[in-house]
Amino acid sequence: MTTMTTPVLQASGVTMRFGGLTAVRSVDFTVNTGEIVGLIGPNGAGKTTFFNCLTGLYVPTEGTVTYKGTVLPPKPHLVTKAGIARTFQNIRLFANMTVLENVLVGRHTRTKEGLWSALLRGPGFRKAEKASEERAMELLDFVGLAAKRDHLARNLPYGEQRKLEIARALASEPGLLLLDEPTAGMNPQETRATEELVFAIRDKGIAVLVIEHDMRFIFNLCDRVAVLVQGEKLVEGTSDVVQADERVVAAYLGEPFEGDPGTAETADVAAAETGAAPQSSTTSTKGEAQ
Amino acid sequence: MNTLPQQLANGLLLGSMYGLIAIGYTMVYGIVQLINFAHGEIFMTGAFGALTVYAYILPHGTSMWAAVPLMLIGGAIVAVLVAVGAERFAYRPLRQAPRLAPLITAIGLSLALQEVVRNFYPGADKARSFPSLDTTHDLGAVTIKDADIFLIIAAIVCMSSLAYFVRKSRTGRAMQATAQDPDTAQLMGIDTNRIIVIAFAIGGLFAAVAAVSYGLKYGNVDYRMGFLMGLKAFTAAVLGGIGNIYGAMLGGVVLGIAETLASAYINNIPGMQQLGGQSWANVWAFCLLILVLLLRPQGLLGERVADRA
Amino acid sequence: MTDTTKTPTPENTAPATTAPRGPLPLPTAAARALLLAGGLATLASTFLAWTWTSEFPGDLTVYGYPGGLQWLTFTAGLLTTLFTLASYQVRGLRWLLPAGNNTPLLLTAVGAFGVTWFTILAIAIELGGLVNLEPGGWIAAVASLLPLLGALALPPATATSGTGSTGGTKETIKAYVAKPEHIPAAQPLNGWAQRLIITAVTALGLAVFTYGIDTEYGELFIGYLIVVVFAVWALHTAGLLDRFSRLVAANRGFTLAMGFAAAIAFPFTQTDDHYANIGVNILIFGTVALGLNIVVGLAGLLDLGYVAFLGVGAYTAALVSGSEFSKFSGVQFPFWAAALTGMAASLVFGVLIGAPTLRLRGDYLAIVTLGFGEIFRIAVNNMDGQSGPDVTNGPNGIPSIPDLKLFGFNFGNPHDLGGFTLGRFANYYLLMVLIMAIVVLVYTRAADSRIGRSWIAIREDETAATAMGINGFRVKLIAFALGASLAGLAGTVSAHVTYSVVPTPYQFAGSTPPNSAFLLAAVVLGGMGTVAGPLLGAALLYLLPEKLDFLQDKSLLAFGIALILLMRFRPEGIIANRRRQLEFHETGQLDIPDTPTLTGEPAVTTKAGA
Repeated sequence: MTTMTTPVLQASGVTMRFGGLTAVRSVDFTVNTGEIVGLIGPNGAGKTTFFNCLTGLYVPTEGTVTYKGTVLPPKPHLVTKAGIARTFQNIRLFANMTVLENVLVGRHTRTKEGLWSALLRGPGFRKAEKASEERAMELLDFVGLAAKRDHLARNLPYGEQRKLEIARALASEPGLLLLDEPTAGMNPQETRATEELVFAIRDKGIAVLVIEHDMRFIFNLCDRVAVLVQGEKLVEGTSDVVQADERVVAAYLGEPFEGDPGTAETADVAAAETGAAPQSSTTSTKGEAQ
Repeated sequence: MNTLPQQLANGLLLGSMYGLIAIGYTMVYGIVQLINFAHGEIFMTGAFGALTVYAYILPHGTSMWAAVPLMLIGGAIVAVLVAVGAERFAYRPLRQAPRLAPLITAIGLSLALQEVVRNFYPGADKARSFPSLDTTHDLGAVTIKDADIFLIIAAIVCMSSLAYFVRKSRTGRAMQATAQDPDTAQLMGIDTNRIIVIAFAIGGLFAAVAAVSYGLKYGNVDYRMGFLMGLKAFTAAVLGGIGNIYGAMLGGVVLGIAETLASAYINNIPGMQQLGGQSWANVWAFCLLILVLLLRPQGLLGERVADRA
Repeated sequence: MTDTTKTPTPENTAPATTAPRGPLPLPTAAARALLLAGGLATLASTFLAWTWTSEFPGDLTVYGYPGGLQWLTFTAGLLTTLFTLASYQVRGLRWLLPAGNNTPLLLTAVGAFGVTWFTILAIAIELGGLVNLEPGGWIAAVASLLPLLGALALPPATATSGTGSTGGTKETIKAYVAKPEHIPAAQPLNGWAQRLIITAVTALGLAVFTYGIDTEYGELFIGYLIVVVFAVWALHTAGLLDRFSRLVAANRGFTLAMGFAAAIAFPFTQTDDHYANIGVNILIFGTVALGLNIVVGLAGLLDLGYVAFLGVGAYTAALVSGSEFSKFSGVQFPFWAAALTGMAASLVFGVLIGAPTLRLRGDYLAIVTLGFGEIFRIAVNNMDGQSGPDVTNGPNGIPSIPDLKLFGFNFGNPHDLGGFTLGRFANYYLLMVLIMAIVVLVYTRAADSRIGRSWIAIREDETAATAMGINGFRVKLIAFALGASLAGLAGTVSAHVTYSVVPTPYQFAGSTPPNSAFLLAAVVLGGMGTVAGPLLGAALLYLLPEKLDFLQDKSLLAFGIALILLMRFRPEGIIANRRRQLEFHETGQLDIPDTPTLTGEPAVTTKAGA
């Protein structure tokens, strides 16, 4: 806002409809380089839907999302390749892989050794594996998990699992990191540590977009905060501006909405995140329902 | 005999049988997202249950009017017991296990059921004859047997009562709720275990009806009959949109007709002269399955269930 | 290697008043003495005659030396004696019981008891009554019972793993067969000593395996299984397998080399080409199972028509083999070309099947592959020129496939090599060892690489893997196609080994391997995601119906039930992959990364599944 920076992520007029239900309505939104941006809103305001539009899980019904000037491809793995990495609200590590392996998987898009090179094990392969491992160890060092490289991810305590997820996302060398409720379930100390970590990530030159419930965390952290209510962007501005806005207070404390789009959306998201079918629709139902 | 209307009728009949079995796949899948591979074998045990009633319980010479209902009951009891037992003892303990575990269990169950029948049912290692209803009726363009009439009536009765049950009854609505979201349904006080058992039981019941129709139509049953029928019924369920009960029946009918037409007419296509006939029918059925998965993975009536790659 | 001193240690012989005791009321010292005495008596009894007639196979009528099943009793009795002596802290044997627990004593005692009583009962039943037993038989029966009684009087577990066996019978039994949680680390050995141990163990393994293949009658094979199962179990609970796997982990390359040396040595130990035939069939079966393991164990894709890819390879090889019954009888490819063609054909089918289905949920793949397996069988049955195009000769198959010739070496003729005569099957056996080596190499290298990690990631959590930039469809297709082409490769050899290809082996289920159900069972039984597991599973599943004729009819039934029970109680298989084990059991225990083990430890104390 104060300085002219280049936009990393630019969403313009993003609308997402599920059947007759509009979960997100013409949202314009920008994240610039070197910025930490927060996205808040009451439950069911369309945050996660919007988030999924950014990660390629959904293709917006209307509007476009561009990353560094190019329209985002409609597949999550291509979005990651393009340079947007993400974490999950309910941690989704590869539980039965080691800490190091988790981060190495994160390196997938930045390495290209295929089956043949794995089978032939030429010098190129060894070099790439070594470089990947070094890079992964740097990242583990960065989040403070280097000592636990050979532990299985499932055996880490909760806070460390969050850190590992961030390290794994960083391994894809993103230009933008999306954090989906990174402090959910954390105590104040852990939240504080996460704050430090996010600042450190920003200092590496990576833009960060955080979705959160915890207002204090957001306002401490973010250069700019956007508030999403009922699928529409209500306010956007610095922490002070947003905090002072009456409508935000009303939205958070005030009356619940009629025809709250939230229910359907949360159900969608729940269905999407059970892993069975990360798709916009719930798994098909008995012939009845439609 | 080989006229087009006759072929269509044959396809429709075969398809209704597929559809009845497919209901079992689709209901279970709709609720617990499990492909019960052993369902074909449940169909097979239903046939042997019915055969037991006819061959070992009823006195010789019982009129078919009396025998068929009793055979239906016998087949249903066996198939439902096997289906519910499979759920209770094989699948339920694995509900939280990785996906592969119930699938492998289902394979094991399928092998075990086949082998139990082959080893322990008298004479079941070869085809055993089943009372058939062979009286034919000439309806102009098509000729059908009594067994076909039984099959059509059974399919219609079964489908309409199932539709009524799912739509109108308390349990039916609870099933829909469980299919949508098992956790929430449970929170709402629905006993999801009971719902799952009911889904398996209905599957078993319908499989038994299909099994009796099969026996009456073809006049013999064997321990392997469930394998191919099960595979095709699954194909039918996918074709119609797995999870959707009307889709299962529609898929069955489409598959049945496609298969019949393919085996009757595909050898008329230049270059495919030798690929027609009954021996290639199964191949065409599976090609249809692959084609459907390629073009419309959600099936004819289904919503999208595909993973995004 | 335990650094305890003289006299029995407190942890073994805590005062009888406070220490827990076994179900039999005997002082610990007496129980131990009983074990030793019984073990020695069992050994001695094998030198007596157990029956009067040589009608019972193996001739157990001889005084002066053991024969047939007596050797197995002898082995089991020896193990019992050795473990008992180790529990007495006899110098030089202490390494047998690093954790000082009593479980190995019990297990070896059960093994000795089991094999002896099995023999006695088999004599009585087959020859018609107990009168057929000589006094030696009675002595053996009593002698083998003593160690069991002694072991049952010992407390179930060591002091370290607690005393509470207050629970039900189930808990008591579990406590009896539990492996101690902590195995004291061995004294560091220098590299040569380590390699010597690995060599010795490999040689022993080869001997044990060879004995199993060479068993001539069903009774001997059952006895062999009893002894091997209990002996391995005892070694496992003693902690020796853990120690050995640490050695293996430290000398991976050497162990692999020794393993292949042992595999190559096998035909040289055989005088009868029949057993080499069994060996080559096990190898084919095992190689295909290992290929399936890439698909199922690493990428988590359930392929139920896998044997069809073996069939595609076999038929392709047969068609280009130059057999006069082949449709292309004029064509005779050299082996390398035939192998590549077979692989390529399987690969094409793999991609054709995989491409439409791998975008969908895993269940669809399972059913489509099942369908494909069925199509393959129907198609090869029909393509006889009558009910289909003339390609495969229908149910009669393609016979008279000529033997392979490589560099002027004809696989069909016996060859002399350093005083050993290698028959036809031994030649093919050696070729299959080479092919298995390739598959093992492919498996291990692929597993430990970028692509292997992405397979595992996809299996673990597809959504998260996709968010990490992995193209799920692509890597799954690679796994599937790789699995298919490896099966195709094995198929090309198997066509030549069996002289002819016919449709029957290539179906979903049948009473003899290979078929898709058996392959899956081999992978699951042996241990998904491991190298040794599917090979062990394949060997077992091949030998069981081969050796036990009476099982032939019921083998599929047994496998069906075994699959259900395995998934319920030990889904990780015999040889557990550490990852898999944790996936299947919520143990909650912290892993100890600095002591990697090759074989996982069974989670005896936790419940499987939910």
